[in-house]
Amino acid sequence: MNINDKSPAGEVATMAEVSEVVKKLRERAKELLASGAVKMIIGYGDGYSKGKTVPIFITKPEDADRLIFDARCQNSLSMYLKTAEIKAKGKIGIVVKGCDARAINVLLLENQVKRENLHILGMVCEGVGDPTQDKCGWCMANTPPVYDDLFGEPIPNKGWNEETFAEVLKLEAMSPAELWKFWTEQFDKCIKCYACRQACPICTCTRCITDKNQPQWVPTSPHSEGNYHWNLTRAFHLAGRCVGCNACHNACPMDIPLKLINWKLIKVVYDDYNFIAGMDSATLPPMETYKVGEETDFIK
Amino acid sequence: MAEFHPKTFAFFCNWCTYTGADLAGTSRMLYPADFRVIKVPCTGRIDFEFIVKAFEQGADGVWISGCHIGDCHYNSGNYYAQRRWAIFRQELGFLGIDLRRLKFSWISAAEGRKFAVEAKEFVERITELGPYTEFHSIIPKTREAEAVTGGGN
Amino acid sequence: MVRIGVFICHCGKNIARTVDCAKVAEAASQWPGVEYAVDYKYMCSDPGQNLIKDAIKQHNLTGIVISACSPKMHEATFRKAAKSAGINPFLCECANIREHCSWVHDNMDVATPKAIDIIHMMVEKVRYNHPLDPIKVPVTKRALVVGGGISGIQAALDIADGGCEVIMVERAPSIGGHMSQLSETFPTLDCSQCILTPKMTAVKQHPNIKLMTYSEVDEVRGFVGNFTVKIRRKARYVIENMCIGCADCIAACVFKKPKFPDEFNEGLGLRKPVYIPFPQAVPQVACIDPNTCLQLTTGKCKMTCAAACPKECIDFKMVDTFEEVQVGAIILATGYKLFDPKRIPNYGYGKFDNVYTSLEIERMVSASGPTEGQVLLKNGQNPKSVAIIHCVGSRDTKTNAWCSKVCCMYSLKLAHLIKHSTGAEIFNFYIDIRTPGKSYEEFYDKVLEDNVNFIRGRAAKVVDWDLQPLEDGKLVVHAEDTLMGRRRRIPVDMVILSVGMEPQSDAGKLSHIANCSVSSEGWFLERHPKLAPVHTMTDGVYIAGACQGPKDIPECVAQASATAAQALILFSSDELTREPTIAKVDEMNCIGCFLCEKVCPFSAIEHHEIKDRNGNVIRVVSRVNEGLCQGCGPCAAICPSNCISIAGITEEQVYAQIGAV
Repeated sequence: MNINDKSPAGEVATMAEVSEVVKKLRERAKELLASGAVKMIIGYGDGYSKGKTVPIFITKPEDADRLIFDARCQNSLSMYLKTAEIKAKGKIGIVVKGCDARAINVLLLENQVKRENLHILGMVCEGVGDPTQDKCGWCMANTPPVYDDLFGEPIPNKGWNEETFAEVLKLEAMSPAELWKFWTEQFDKCIKCYACRQACPICTCTRCITDKNQPQWVPTSPHSEGNYHWNLTRAFHLAGRCVGCNACHNACPMDIPLKLINWKLIKVVYDDYNFIAGMDSATLPPMETYKVGEETDFIK
Repeated sequence: MAEFHPKTFAFFCNWCTYTGADLAGTSRMLYPADFRVIKVPCTGRIDFEFIVKAFEQGADGVWISGCHIGDCHYNSGNYYAQRRWAIFRQELGFLGIDLRRLKFSWISAAEGRKFAVEAKEFVERITELGPYTEFHSIIPKTREAEAVTGGGN
Repeated sequence: MVRIGVFICHCGKNIARTVDCAKVAEAASQWPGVEYAVDYKYMCSDPGQNLIKDAIKQHNLTGIVISACSPKMHEATFRKAAKSAGINPFLCECANIREHCSWVHDNMDVATPKAIDIIHMMVEKVRYNHPLDPIKVPVTKRALVVGGGISGIQAALDIADGGCEVIMVERAPSIGGHMSQLSETFPTLDCSQCILTPKMTAVKQHPNIKLMTYSEVDEVRGFVGNFTVKIRRKARYVIENMCIGCADCIAACVFKKPKFPDEFNEGLGLRKPVYIPFPQAVPQVACIDPNTCLQLTTGKCKMTCAAACPKECIDFKMVDTFEEVQVGAIILATGYKLFDPKRIPNYGYGKFDNVYTSLEIERMVSASGPTEGQVLLKNGQNPKSVAIIHCVGSRDTKTNAWCSKVCCMYSLKLAHLIKHSTGAEIFNFYIDIRTPGKSYEEFYDKVLEDNVNFIRGRAAKVVDWDLQPLEDGKLVVHAEDTLMGRRRRIPVDMVILSVGMEPQSDAGKLSHIANCSVSSEGWFLERHPKLAPVHTMTDGVYIAGACQGPKDIPECVAQASATAAQALILFSSDELTREPTIAKVDEMNCIGCFLCEKVCPFSAIEHHEIKDRNGNVIRVVSRVNEGLCQGCGPCAAICPSNCISIAGITEEQVYAQIGAV
């Protein structure tokens, strides 16, 4: 990826067409770039085809007018923060929705990005996608939990509701044999393209465990065993860290319902440890801490 | 058909359960033979990959055991392990793993009797469940060729 | 090329009875990489060990598996044998075919294949064993003792007498701690000052002890044997090594009369802004209180003190200074603080004149105290009746759940002393009287003979309104007498609250600095409640006295001596040898997420900066401090990219063992 690529969107929307919020965003972006406060701003721009956006990496104030923000901005830009190219830039600005901001909180907690190197342009978001993604129906961060500038009037978070875990509960009701059948069939579709890993803002390892071959824990071939192992490992590495942005799920070319495993684990860490990842950058996820005297019932 | 002997692995912490197993031996307590012990310094050391790998090597059951909560030789290793297994176990269950094939216990160095009882319970439980054909079915048939047969230094 | 030797022990009949050792040796000899396999009657015997040594030399073995008893039994023996044959001891592994096999099975058809599996697993493991060398770390033979109460004093004197240097840091202007404030000590009633003062002086005079009073520990870096400690020396405004303790400055102070509450006398006496804390203070050096001194608060004082000083050692421009010291061991002996009885307003402390804490009464009955040993009411009279309320701030879920352990005994002591000096009627309100300790119960018996009253029941409140003429002008203690099953109202002249012990309010901060932990209550946490009561989770940091939990003087002294013994054990050699089976980070692949740091029980993970040629930091990765790491492994298990391995139980070794069956 060459981050200096121009957006393929030929035309810049005229000021008349853009919302007040986007106008403010562009103004602020201009200021930040002009003053040299940030070296680059990562944001959303118009895509090749209607209804799609592309990430844009702007360095000149005049390019700020290419920034957009609307319900098409589905993907998480936070995932660029893990790339070496962006890390080398120094201080940058980034346009984030609440879910992306939560991912940034996780990255901050895990020292993957320095707060002083980020200028967070937080967007109040009421949901993205057409139709609106299901996860937006129970968003925990309609107003981003961390930002430097906020665009849009803060609104209360919709919050989890009975829909949130409905699909997970449906699966939980199944017998182990049924679950085994369901998941092995799903995982058999996996082609080990690792799009789930690449799209995830929190999968930050430069050398993924699946690429480790001394010893080779995760079999790399896309056969049933390797697929099962990979998907199991991917989700567990995100337990207590996943913010439920569904980027992996949306990225999967084989339509494996990856979000179900993630949301199962989100449910587990919430039910058992009252923890929701990414709400702040200080609270330790359950597996990184413990309470003196706590016991569980399955270990006798 | 010959009597079924399950293939199982047991990960024991060095300070409590491994020593508890020693005590069961010193006390000549008899228990079934069908598990193979891997000694680790602490249950906190046990990466979940160990468990997955054991199943991939054809295990019919896996047993993990360490010091009682509060007795960890390293103070908090088993606390971390406990949370890890609490979460991992639920993921495994969700992905269709038969949780009866996974056993967790706390056995102290003094609990030779408990060790023998739990060992018997584990082996009997797995024997009754029979071979883990579900998981075995996803293991590639070429495994034997792939299996670790040499190498190293 | 791996050349593995497998040695199968019969252990007489212990193994051979249920394991066909010859068959096992035959099976082992077939495995790839196994150069030599043999069975023998007793591997641990001299001929057995010689067999191993000879085979190592003859076959040029690169790894050996001793299949015998539990590694807990003879691993050290066999590793020593391996070493003497010229290979690294960590290339030797023990396969446990006795405790885990021959002794727990009675059928050779079961035990033999199991033994073969057990040995095979070890053979596969040993392929991945690497030579490991013991980690040597140098030891600085100097101890830091934090806290100058009786525990710190005892620990310092013991270490110093053992021939090693000690630095003692005390935050107050004088050492002595709570013990110096006590009147007489139970159960023998010897005067606290009389037994403590010689020890305080000994600290000052000991050539091996460097005393730093009015100082605090700001920072601790390093690890066992090699700590660097930053000490803040608070401005005393008197040059310590010049002051001769003549007190001319005190006499010359612009405040003609003492005006400010005197900490040593629990506020019952007064002092001037320039003061020596108490007559026996060590060091005998004046100190100026920056909160009350006119010059230091307003800058407009005639500074008569400075003019009067014959040594010209008063310096109002003095500022806090910092000193870094190198020590090998740290002993925390920071003691306790008293429960503040204002937290239980029912007892009227601070509201009624004649409600006192037990420590205030200690000062009163002390011959050197503000009343020169007299127990007096605010009006200067002796009390005719006194209530002593036990368990104030102890054994109470609303305040502190724990028993403070010393209150029963000191309450009995105070009852005895007051009875004898004033003849007053004394009422003890208690829940239980706890007197476990040498001669303690006997002391209780003696106090019972003094005609002291004991009312079993927690006092509910102390009030000053009277219902009967008898209660006129008195304090009335309300309590349920659980032995009589009745509510009682006892009118008294004076109420003494037997306040409990609490952790120092900044114990958490110090634990953070010294890298150890405190319990949820705030007491310092020992490594093991029974078997390591003076160790902390950090090697080289020990805890003595009441900072670990309520204790009386003899217990503090015993614990202090125990810490001194630990420090001296540490100092008994020039180098520390540590097991090399510790964690190691693959810095190439570490992304610096520091999840490992969060789960490390020993704080052994450090941030290591990888710099480019120009010195710019390009990455921060985790690095294991070899002095702190114990090789337990939660770091390795949590590392998402699996770049931490534990020597002796690496991933390859686990993987190989799983693959062997």
